[in-house]
Amino acid sequence: MKTRFLSALSAVVLAFAPALLPGPALGAGPSDRVVIGGTIGLSGRFAKEGEQSVWGIRAMEKWTNKVVGGVMVKGRAIPVEYRYYDDESRKEAVISLAERLITADKVRFFLAPYSSPLTLAGAPVADKHEVLYMSHGGATDRVVEQGYRYVVQTLSPASMYQTSFLDMVRQLDPGAKRLALLFKDDEFSREVMKGVQAHAGKTGFSIVFSRTYPSEVKDLTPVLTELQAAKADVLAGGGHFADGQLLTRQLADMRIDLRAASILVAPAIPAFYQALGGVAESIVSPGQWGIGATYSPEAARKRGIDYVGPTQTEFMDLFLAESKGVSPSYHAAEAAAGFLAVVKGITEAASLDPKVVRQVMNRLHFMTFFGDWKIEPDTGRQIGHEMVLLQWQRKKLEIVWPPSAQTSKPVYPMLTTRQREAGQLAVPR
Amino acid sequence: MTTHSTGYQPLALVYGVYAILFAVGLGVPGAWQPVAFVTFYVAMGQAFNIFLGLTGYVDFGYVAFLAVGSYGMAVAVASLAATGLGLGVLGVGLVLGMVMAALLSVAVGAIALRLRGAYFAIATIGVNEGFRYFIEGTKLWGGSEGIIISRPMRLAFGTELANRLATFWADVLVFVLAAAAALITFAYMRSRVGYALMALREDEDAAKVIGVNVTRYKILAFITSASLAGFIGAAAWALKTTYVFPDDVFNITYTVEAIVIVLLGGTGTLIGPVIGGLVYGTFKYWLAVLLPGLQLLILAPLIILIVVAVPGGLTGVIKERVRGGTAARFVL
Repeated sequence: MKTRFLSALSAVVLAFAPALLPGPALGAGPSDRVVIGGTIGLSGRFAKEGEQSVWGIRAMEKWTNKVVGGVMVKGRAIPVEYRYYDDESRKEAVISLAERLITADKVRFFLAPYSSPLTLAGAPVADKHEVLYMSHGGATDRVVEQGYRYVVQTLSPASMYQTSFLDMVRQLDPGAKRLALLFKDDEFSREVMKGVQAHAGKTGFSIVFSRTYPSEVKDLTPVLTELQAAKADVLAGGGHFADGQLLTRQLADMRIDLRAASILVAPAIPAFYQALGGVAESIVSPGQWGIGATYSPEAARKRGIDYVGPTQTEFMDLFLAESKGVSPSYHAAEAAAGFLAVVKGITEAASLDPKVVRQVMNRLHFMTFFGDWKIEPDTGRQIGHEMVLLQWQRKKLEIVWPPSAQTSKPVYPMLTTRQREAGQLAVPR
Repeated sequence: MTTHSTGYQPLALVYGVYAILFAVGLGVPGAWQPVAFVTFYVAMGQAFNIFLGLTGYVDFGYVAFLAVGSYGMAVAVASLAATGLGLGVLGVGLVLGMVMAALLSVAVGAIALRLRGAYFAIATIGVNEGFRYFIEGTKLWGGSEGIIISRPMRLAFGTELANRLATFWADVLVFVLAAAAALITFAYMRSRVGYALMALREDEDAAKVIGVNVTRYKILAFITSASLAGFIGAAAWALKTTYVFPDDVFNITYTVEAIVIVLLGGTGTLIGPVIGGLVYGTFKYWLAVLLPGLQLLILAPLIILIVVAVPGGLTGVIKERVRGGTAARFVL
């Protein structure tokens, strides 16, 4: 009986149990190189962002190894290796693969997955193993508010997405007072909205309209009718691509003219202009980064801070070689900057101990092609990086804010619907 | 010589598998999370099988029960962690998760179980989506912003214990659930409940004619399956990931995965979901490691191939191989 039972049991389990062992690290061991790893969604709902992130990170891996010979630890340059697995944009995969990366691949510096929920999913594993956890695609403020000891953020948090827009309008037009908010009802957009609400008072705006719309919205005309009645000067709103495009289209259809409109995510993607044509002219969108941003070694030198990593041009060349010609989005830039921040942290700490590196990061303030990098010591929240504002001008996406990064002056007030439909292009004065 | 299963051997086989998995997870450094990953699929398959496998009804809204269960745990931790209940709050969360899932199943079952076939399947999709939009629209439990419980957990239990709860004890609870689901399935299959369910699965009208109260047994299987799903959601999602966002937990992909696991292993069997979960989870894990980005492209045709080639699932193949032999005692 005992033998039969064991035979049956073996038949079921033995084929699988060994497969569940983490196995040896793939490739070379960690002794001759520093492995910076992470999970990323190369399939599932964040596949596009994940692909961009991987290209951005690999470009920086190459730059680090070729230009500076790796990370400098106690006078020795150690080559750096980026190792990643596809988490399918799923939390279960993030957790299991994170443990594999940490235990089998000996990753001590972890690049978090894309999106706020997945960044949150991997955080307990990194915290348990005391591994530095670099968030490059989790914009929610709540990631850094949970008390994790090793979480460090490279991108601006969601609450800061639209604050630059208010700053810009205030500087260009002190008379603009009436602010309308119309955001998608999801976790990210609501956090952005809260950030605007908090910043509105400080910048002298009064909120005359504040609403959200459902995730799967197909028609915004009822809510836009109310917005029209509110007689707002400027609008901050949006959520993601489809709804942002719908919002812009229906604002034009209803001939709602504003002095400025800043819409999340959608306008920052080239497909936005392809879909809307001239209606997109002079629409503004916040972005973590934009092609042509003028962060440079010279700009850093002027401000007395270090410049780390390649220049914009070098980044573009390296990235395009990785992506086979696909242009980088801000997802690529923020992931690349996260990688550079880890390299900088290790170099400054002259140590491969995540605890020491995390401590040293508290006092770092430097610039990369992505912008400034500086964190709040207690939480790891990014406080140095500034959002840029992008605006469609002459069929091109230009960086119009902050002045230190701009590639073109902002067009303000924005073109009227009639002007845009007549084919007039936004030209800065 | 008796060659079919009449004793506890099939259950012993399932528990033996769990014991080995548990030992591998504990004994091999770094194996715990891969094992937990697979166990999640095994447990989900076990729980889903109680309804799909035993009744033949396909519930496309099954993930809603996991989702509601995860809210049960998140609400309990978010509102009670600071009250000094200590770890008792997790017990409250698990019970709340199961009760909420059971209540939802009663509400859904009372209406949807009057329908059959495709009508039932479509109705359950509606419930899943409808409940998600209800939460978002009414701003219930944080609405679209969800609930994050990392901070309350860390404040209530301390950093080390909070990490341990998320990365170890949550998985242990999933093991416990998988064991309980197997026991319940076994008990149902060996009792009047199992015979009634088998009768209605084969021919519901005929079962009615011979006096089986089909509604009662369907609802019993539905509530049992939903409650177990609630427990999984509470442990494997809320406690483990420490957050609940509606668009994440009401993701219909999980239901599809549960269906695949049950079909792959063999519907209405005890060992089927275990085999299905092991095969599915192991393939997914290793394909993600070895061929990042291509795993779904490979896994999907592979599953289609298996399901088409062996319609009775892998358990069907095993049963065929051991038929008449002593090993048949272990396969149920």
